[in-house]
Amino acid sequence: MSCHQTTDIIADYFDQQLSPQARQTVQQHVAHCEDCRAEVALLAPAQKTLLAWQNESVPDWDRVKGQGQGHGNGPAAHNHRKRLHKRRAGPSWVDVRRWIPLAASLVLSVAVLTQTRLDVSGEGWRLSFGSSTAERQLAQLDLYLAEQASVQQQQNQRVLETALQQFGNSTADSLYQLVDWYEQQRELDMQRLEAGFQQMLERDYQTVNSVQQLASFVRYQNDLP
Amino acid sequence: MEQDNELIERALNGSLQAWEDLVRRYEGRVYNYSLRLTGNRDDALDLMQDVFMGVYRHLERFRGDSQFVSWLFRIAHNKAVDLVRRRHASPVKYQMLPDDPDEWPDVSDTAANPQSAALTNEKNAMIQRLLDALTPEQRLILELKVFQSMTFEEIAMMQDISANTAKTRFYSALKKLRALMEEDHELSPDH
Repeated sequence: MSCHQTTDIIADYFDQQLSPQARQTVQQHVAHCEDCRAEVALLAPAQKTLLAWQNESVPDWDRVKGQGQGHGNGPAAHNHRKRLHKRRAGPSWVDVRRWIPLAASLVLSVAVLTQTRLDVSGEGWRLSFGSSTAERQLAQLDLYLAEQASVQQQQNQRVLETALQQFGNSTADSLYQLVDWYEQQRELDMQRLEAGFQQMLERDYQTVNSVQQLASFVRYQNDLP
Repeated sequence: MEQDNELIERALNGSLQAWEDLVRRYEGRVYNYSLRLTGNRDDALDLMQDVFMGVYRHLERFRGDSQFVSWLFRIAHNKAVDLVRRRHASPVKYQMLPDDPDEWPDVSDTAANPQSAALTNEKNAMIQRLLDALTPEQRLILELKVFQSMTFEEIAMMQDISANTAKTRFYSALKKLRALMEEDHELSPDH
């Protein structure tokens, strides 16, 4: 088979629903194409055989109640809740459900704005509105916290005083030693600094004047009260 | 003549007459399709009733965006596939008669004697045997194109394939059928 259109040509040739214009085109092709003409000749008997089928008439059967299990009376009765959709008057359950989230949001918003409070206790429950009770409770809480802070501070102070009385002398001596040590370290640092400057003087004479001036300035600063 | 969509609308609104008219319009095509598939009148009637039961139950799902006959034969094809599966699962029902005539069941009992319900038209029986030797895909394309007069576009939409694929399958099915005819030496009257 050398014709690349044979499949389409054969399918169209045996297509009984082909339009007149398309059929003319197909027949023209077949008339001029040896391969397609040979295929038509080969397959024509196959279609002819199929078309020789003789339709048999349908035996009697119950077209309405023959749908099994007594569910007769047509598809509307079987699918009574599945009819084609029609507009219905009045709100539907689906429409009402659509508004529930919005209603819930409004209720919550009102509850927040009005500072609604639900108190549940052993005696029952109580719904209250407004901020006066809350403010009083907050004020009481602040007062309580302040009292507790004052008490804690007083206690800490007493503990410190007691500790100082017991360990005061040794603590004072330690402080004096610490101060002496810091002063000694400062003196050592100053000596090191002067030695460094002296080395710089010995190495580079071009900067002597400026370094001497700098050293003088530093001493001047140190001598200031 | 009332259009299919109008009959369907009325049937869904409760009109038994509309439902019956719709069934009568297509039962011949479905019954003969079933005959070509089963080769047996009893089985063909059962299959046809199964098909219309499926249509009956799912009629509200038909959207009207395709031809009703396409939707109908999609259901018919699915029911036919179920039938073939049942046949393979229960082959005893379809055994040939025993050689000893004394063991033949009562001929008045058509359910036990499927031979009595077989096709008596020899030509039809030959065509049914030829179709039975095709693959389900080849059989379906020939059924839809030759017997149901559907266009390649309608077949393509029904089977979710392209029109070109449908044409290729049709060409292949015709070739296979021709080859089977030569094997059986069952040529058309022209040969």
